[in-house]
Amino acid sequence: MTSRIIAVLNQKGGVGKTTTTVNLAHALARMGKKITVIDFDPQSHLAVALGVVSKQRTGIDEIILGHATFAQQQIPVRENLNLIVAGPRLQEIEQLSQGGSHRGDLLRNALMSGTDQRDLVFIDCPPSSGILVANALFAAEELLVPMTSDYLALQGLSHLMGTIKKFETVLNKKYRLQLVMSRYIPTRRLSKDVVSTLKKYFPTQILATPIRETASLAECPSFGKTVFEYRPGWRSAKDFEALAGDFLEGRVM
Amino acid sequence: MAEQDESSMIGYDPLAWMHEAEDVELPCRSAPDTPPPLTDDLTVIVASNPHLNEAGDSQSVDAITQCQIILEPVQTIQTVAQLHQQLQRMLDDYNKIDIDASAVIQIDTASMQLLLVLKLTAVKLQKEVSIDFPSEKFMEAANLLGLSEMLSVDQAASGFF
Repeated sequence: MTSRIIAVLNQKGGVGKTTTTVNLAHALARMGKKITVIDFDPQSHLAVALGVVSKQRTGIDEIILGHATFAQQQIPVRENLNLIVAGPRLQEIEQLSQGGSHRGDLLRNALMSGTDQRDLVFIDCPPSSGILVANALFAAEELLVPMTSDYLALQGLSHLMGTIKKFETVLNKKYRLQLVMSRYIPTRRLSKDVVSTLKKYFPTQILATPIRETASLAECPSFGKTVFEYRPGWRSAKDFEALAGDFLEGRVM
Repeated sequence: MAEQDESSMIGYDPLAWMHEAEDVELPCRSAPDTPPPLTDDLTVIVASNPHLNEAGDSQSVDAITQCQIILEPVQTIQTVAQLHQQLQRMLDDYNKIDIDASAVIQIDTASMQLLLVLKLTAVKLQKEVSIDFPSEKFMEAANLLGLSEMLSVDQAASGFF
């Protein structure tokens, strides 16, 4: 069995990368899929959102540096859901490029073994376009791009698509790319116009269920809970449940 | 080109280059008999390569033509559609395009994307595009976008031109 490796990325901050990773992963785990999420952001927000707050615990940093294996670093955080934290040295790796040492294949090499026991591996990327994101692009075959429905997000997506196309050319591969509308405010006309614009360029790539902006999604990380634990049965939990179905079955807008 | 209809809340469409890039990748048409028209804001120099004929090469004159375009000092989204048309014609008609970027003092991402797609399309068509004498501002923009190697201007800074 080969696991699907999916990078959740968008270099723009605040678009819902971590919220999407946490809740989509938990939704899929609740459906019986074996999931591992990798916190690839030195800010460690993914781990915090899942209730893991130790800053000293090593994680993907040590796997990348060759001091630990994928299997060793997984922490079971929910049924069917494992977490690999960022680790205190991930920030150092982000700064490797400043010394002229561009190592884009560190993560890909690190994930070469041990991932085959998992159905899906999600990489929660930092909001940047540095060496960590380059590593995620090397390692992943699929990209999931959370998008807010505002104008600057479109601008950011334009930049991101330029980066992705550059990687596709250099690596001679074509990503399976899907968009998720997150923090969606259905009553805003701008939201509909952004979606309409996106459909022109990604006619079969926007997952069918938009994740609507709610207070509960903003609140649950502070309790280290996913939305299924914090507000089970509420609107956001239903949105993510539907999104997980879209993701597995390829349902698009 | 990049703007939506009036009722939309989206003014300038930042993703428009994605469709434009696809347009540039259209297959090359057969070369017409006449060279592309000269315009006020563009210098095009068309030349056949005499050395090939002197060497007894059997290629026809049409197959060895090249042309040159001098980029305007300011290259922005407002001018990119026109530049696109001009480069498309040149790519259709000539085997080698020399782009003189020495005068560029301002260039935006849309123009850089166009040049990148031109380079990639030319490779597919077994044609050649070279960006000559890139100005400091051009180099700065190419480096910023991580495109200097793909545009083959990375050696310009080292004095290879």
